[in-house]
Amino acid sequence: MNRRGFLQLIGATGAAALTSSCNRFTSVAGTISSPANLARFPDKTEMILLTDRAPQLETPLHYFRQDLTPNEAFFVRWHLEGVPTSVDLRTFRLAVSGHVRQPLQLSVGDLRSQFEPISIIAVNQCSGNSRSFFEPRVPGGQWKHGAVGNAKWTGVPLKSILNRANVRSGAVDVSFNGLDAPPLPSVADFVKSLSIDHARDGEVMVAYAMNDQLLPMLNGFPLRLVVPGWYGTYWVKALSDITVLPHVFSNFWTDKAYRIPNGPNGTESPQHLANDTVPINRFNVRSIFVRPELDEALHPGISTEMEGIAFDSGYGIRRVEVSTDGGATWADARLDPDMGKYSWRRWRAAWTPRSRGAYRLMARATNAVGDTQSEHQWNRSGFMWNVIQQLDVKVA
Amino acid sequence: MTPKPTGVVLLFALAAFLVGCGSSSHVVKEGDHEANARMESMRDFQPDISVHTIVMPHDEPVFPPGPGRDEFVTACVVCHSPRYITLQPRFSRTTWMDEVHKMKDVYGAHITDDQVLKITDYLVSINGTADAAHARKHARYGE
Repeated sequence: MNRRGFLQLIGATGAAALTSSCNRFTSVAGTISSPANLARFPDKTEMILLTDRAPQLETPLHYFRQDLTPNEAFFVRWHLEGVPTSVDLRTFRLAVSGHVRQPLQLSVGDLRSQFEPISIIAVNQCSGNSRSFFEPRVPGGQWKHGAVGNAKWTGVPLKSILNRANVRSGAVDVSFNGLDAPPLPSVADFVKSLSIDHARDGEVMVAYAMNDQLLPMLNGFPLRLVVPGWYGTYWVKALSDITVLPHVFSNFWTDKAYRIPNGPNGTESPQHLANDTVPINRFNVRSIFVRPELDEALHPGISTEMEGIAFDSGYGIRRVEVSTDGGATWADARLDPDMGKYSWRRWRAAWTPRSRGAYRLMARATNAVGDTQSEHQWNRSGFMWNVIQQLDVKVA
Repeated sequence: MTPKPTGVVLLFALAAFLVGCGSSSHVVKEGDHEANARMESMRDFQPDISVHTIVMPHDEPVFPPGPGRDEFVTACVVCHSPRYITLQPRFSRTTWMDEVHKMKDVYGAHITDDQVLKITDYLVSINGTADAAHARKHARYGE
């Protein structure tokens, strides 16, 4: 190898060097019940640590000042202890099988070279994002608002892959499995499914790139299912198996987990838990304050720009209103240019506080079909939080 | 670049060294956008690297002594770290017992009936409320 080749090599592995951590991570010890830990994981920058094994990492709020969430700061959520840590692209294959005439074994290179690529900017949000705000509190990952991100996903429409496999008539569901494996034989493997019509809608995608880069291992390298407008539980990471089924798919992760009350906005009351539940599906409409942050200095008579993000399942954000007096009066925020119907949309509103004191800021998004945010919401699993955010700030 | 066999060996050796532990001194501070941008540009697609490996960090859990600690370590930590407990708010005994039953009956943890009570004792002792005001009749499933 010549010198130039060696330097290229350093460049190539430098990526791993910059982002990998030592096999002991640095974390600031939190107290029981109030962990405020930050940690660095491989390929990732310093993030809010929920759990280390399986890893759940939350994006610090300031990253949402960027329209596309950097890969190294994109939230991480795995279910099972057996997270994939090594992938050999020479032997990795995406298998397409089941109710098809032409089973497939596709390498990542095949996907890149044999199919027409598409790109789509889409929000991915964990079903349990903002769970820690439910009252009464519910068990589960105690996310604040950072289990969400917006990225440009590039890959192959699932429809193209299914067409290549020549799906037989009578197909009902398509299931998706990844390289992650359960820690015990008695624990159900993480497999999710979509209806055949949804799978063939031309938007559901097998992505091999995220913001024009490889996916970080913890975000699903080398392939990830992208299901625009739907909760992250369907975005199967390290996707390795697609199975077309002539019947309804059934397993723990669809029959018992990730279900919501079959009522308006997935809401129930602690005293009357819903008996009728359905699998979680599309995002509801919500907005999140990005600025001011809670530790930001605010002064009377000095203008500050409030800023946030709003998104829904793809109808598009039509309006965001902001209140600086706890909801007594509302004013329209300005919307940044539309980046696509599955992207989040940035909003901004100038505010000049008149005097010192405590203020309650609120933001309320409405989408193109008139859906807006909740006043109150609760369910036993802590899913789909979209209560109008109240941000209590001090002007000094 | 198509590395020759010696190059491949060197590549993996170097990657192994860097991924292993030799490189954790560079810390990207919050707001260090220039460093983030540099890192981004370096992480562009590198088609010549065909094996991607990460080493997961290990956090030595500090867990207080208490009744049922041994049962907790035996039955629970095989699948997940103790942070799954310490990240939660304080819950009532009923809620914690629901969680243990959920792990046993729904998720498939190897927990005996005798261990259910001992593990619940431990969870309540380290992260429980005194009262059972939030007692619930039904387990909650999924996350």
